[in-house]
Amino acid sequence: MAKARRNKRGPFEYAHKLSMQTVFVLATIFLYAPIVVLIIFSFNDSRRGGNVIWRGFTTDYYVKAANNASLIEAFVNSLAIAVISTIFAVILGAITAIVLWRFRFPLKPGYEGLVALPIVIPEICMGVAIAVFFSSMGLYVSPGTLWPFNLTNIIIAHITFSFPFAAMVIRTRLNNFNREMEEAAKDLGASEFQVFRDILLPHMKPGLIAGGLLAFTLSLDDFVITFFTSGPDTVTFPVKVYSMVRFSVTPEINAASTVLILITLVLTAIAMRFQSFEEEHK
Amino acid sequence: MTDAIISIRNVTKRFGSFTAVEDVTIDIQPGEIFALLGPSGCGKSTLLRMIAGFETPTEGDILIDGKDVTDVAPNRRPVNMVFQSYAVFPHMSVADNVAYGLKMDRLPGAEIKEKVAEALEQVKLTDFAHRMPDQLSGGQRQRVALARALAKRPRVLLLDEPLSALDAKLRDAMRLELVKLQESVGVSFVMVTHDQSEALAMADRVAVLKDGRLMQLADPMTLYKHPSDTFVADFIGRVNFFEVEEFKPGSAEVRVQSLGAVTLPTPVEFAAGEKLVLAVRPEYMRVRPWDGTGVAATLGDVGFQGDSSIVEVTLESGQPVQVLSGIADTPVLLGLEPGAKVGVDVDLGEGRVLRG
Repeated sequence: MAKARRNKRGPFEYAHKLSMQTVFVLATIFLYAPIVVLIIFSFNDSRRGGNVIWRGFTTDYYVKAANNASLIEAFVNSLAIAVISTIFAVILGAITAIVLWRFRFPLKPGYEGLVALPIVIPEICMGVAIAVFFSSMGLYVSPGTLWPFNLTNIIIAHITFSFPFAAMVIRTRLNNFNREMEEAAKDLGASEFQVFRDILLPHMKPGLIAGGLLAFTLSLDDFVITFFTSGPDTVTFPVKVYSMVRFSVTPEINAASTVLILITLVLTAIAMRFQSFEEEHK
Repeated sequence: MTDAIISIRNVTKRFGSFTAVEDVTIDIQPGEIFALLGPSGCGKSTLLRMIAGFETPTEGDILIDGKDVTDVAPNRRPVNMVFQSYAVFPHMSVADNVAYGLKMDRLPGAEIKEKVAEALEQVKLTDFAHRMPDQLSGGQRQRVALARALAKRPRVLLLDEPLSALDAKLRDAMRLELVKLQESVGVSFVMVTHDQSEALAMADRVAVLKDGRLMQLADPMTLYKHPSDTFVADFIGRVNFFEVEEFKPGSAEVRVQSLGAVTLPTPVEFAAGEKLVLAVRPEYMRVRPWDGTGVAATLGDVGFQGDSSIVEVTLESGQPVQVLSGIADTPVLLGLEPGAKVGVDVDLGEGRVLRG
C-alpha cells in the first residue's frame, strides 16, 4: 500500500509535468537570454561592422573599457553618487523608520503613505519633477565646481528616491523589536541614549545594511532620474552607456555593462543574506 | 508600617476612561515573596509596572525604602525586573548581559567581573558565561534574566509571570528553585501571576486583584481557608456554593438550599437581609453508597487524577456539586456506577459563609 502511494503523484507536484517544465524553461530563456547574450558578446572579437556575429574570444574590450577615460570618469561619478546618497538615504531612512515605528501622531497613516509614494510614482515623473524643481529653485551647480560637489543635484535626487526603500526595510526590521528589551535596559539603568546605542542600534544593524545596499544598487544603476538631473560635466555610468549605445554598439559597452551587472548582483546577494539573517533571528 | 520596603499607597491608574488599578494600598515587607494574583486584565501587571517605573500612577504614591519614587524614572529606581519574555539582549553574551546593568552604574571593571561571576554562580550558569542567548534553552534564558537583575543587588526583584513561558515540568522545578534563590539572596520578590497554584506554592503573602481592586491580601493558607468573598474562594482552588435561604444574625443555625437546616461551627456575623452563600471546598465532602443518611445525590462523571478523583454529583435539589475523593473513596472502587444513588457528607466545620 505504502509503496503504491509513493509512486502516485501528489496534488501539487506540478514539477514533474512536461508542460510545466516547458513553461519554466521558456520563462527562464525569456528572462535571461538577453543578459547572457550581452555577457557573451562582451568577449566577442568583433573589430568592425557591428557586434552581432561571433568572431572569436577576446578580453580586449575589458581592457579598452578600462582605458576609456570618459567611461571610467562616469563610473567613478556613479560610485561617488551611490556612496554619498546611500549614507544620507540610510540616515534619513532610519530616522523616518524610527519615527513611524515609535510615535503616534495625527495623520500618521497619511504621512506613511507620503513616505512610500516615491516608490510607486513613475520614475519619469519623479525625474521631470526633480528637474523642474531644481531649475525653478535656481538649484544648479555651476560648471567647474570641485568634484564631487558638482554631483550635488544628482545626489539629492538619488537620496529622494532611494531613502523610502531604506526606510521600509529598516521599518520591517524594527517591527519585530521586542519592546521589553528596551524596558529591560532602562530597568538596568540605561538612559534613552544608552538604550538606543546599546540595544536598538544593534537590533537595527541588519536592516541598516540591507537598506543601505538596496539604496546603493538603486543609485548605481539609475538612469531616468539621473538623466534629468545630470549636466554635460556630470555624466554617470548608465547615462554614459546610453550615449555610447546611441553612437554604436561595441563590445566595450557589453564589457562595461557586464561589470555593472556583476556589482549589482554581488550587492543584492549580500543584501539578501542580511535579510535572511534577520528572519532567522527573530 | 514604616519598615515596609515597598509601600503602595492609595494608587489608582487610569488609561483614558479605563481604570486599570483602583485605590490599591499594599505594603511589601523585606525578604518576603509577594504575589500579585488575578485573572488577566485585573491590573496586576500595571501595578508591577508602576513599581518598576514604567507607568506613573494617576493618583497615590509609591514608596521604596521609605522614599517617594512616584516620579522617579525606571533607570533610577533600586528595583529590577525579570520580564515575561526575559528580554535577554540577543547580541550580547550571557556574561555581557549580566554585566550590562553594572556597566550602566559605571562600576570598575574588576568589580563588574566579580559581581557577574557571583550572579552567574547563583543561577548556576557559570559554564555558560560566553554563550550567546540563541544557544540557550528557555529555562537558561530565564536564569540569565534573573542573574542580570540580581547582579544589580536590587532592594526588590520584580518578576512578571516568571514561569508562564516554561513548559509544565520545568515550571514545577523552577517554582522551588525560585523560592530557594530568594532565600539565599534575601531580596524581596514581587511576582505577578495568573496561576493560583503558583502563587500558593511560592508566595509568603498573596494579593488577589479583580478589576483593578484589591480583593484580599493574606498568606496562602488564610486565602485558601478563609477567602473574603466568593470571587477569591472561586479563584483560589475549587469550591461549591450553596445558597443560604434563611439565617439570623448571631445564630449558627441556617437553612441552606439543597442541604436543608444545618448548624455551622460559628455564628453568622452578617446583617439581616444580606444575600449569603455557604462555600465548601470539594475535599471537605465525601461520596459514599446511599444508606439513608447524608445528602441524597445522583453520581455523575468521575475524573480520575491518579492520587484522587474529581467526582461530579447532582443533589436532589438539582444542584451540581464537585467532590474530591481520595483514592480509597473513589466511587469506582466502591462499586458505584454513574447514575447510582449516593449519600454526600459535608464537613460543615470547613464551610464558610460568604456574601453572595
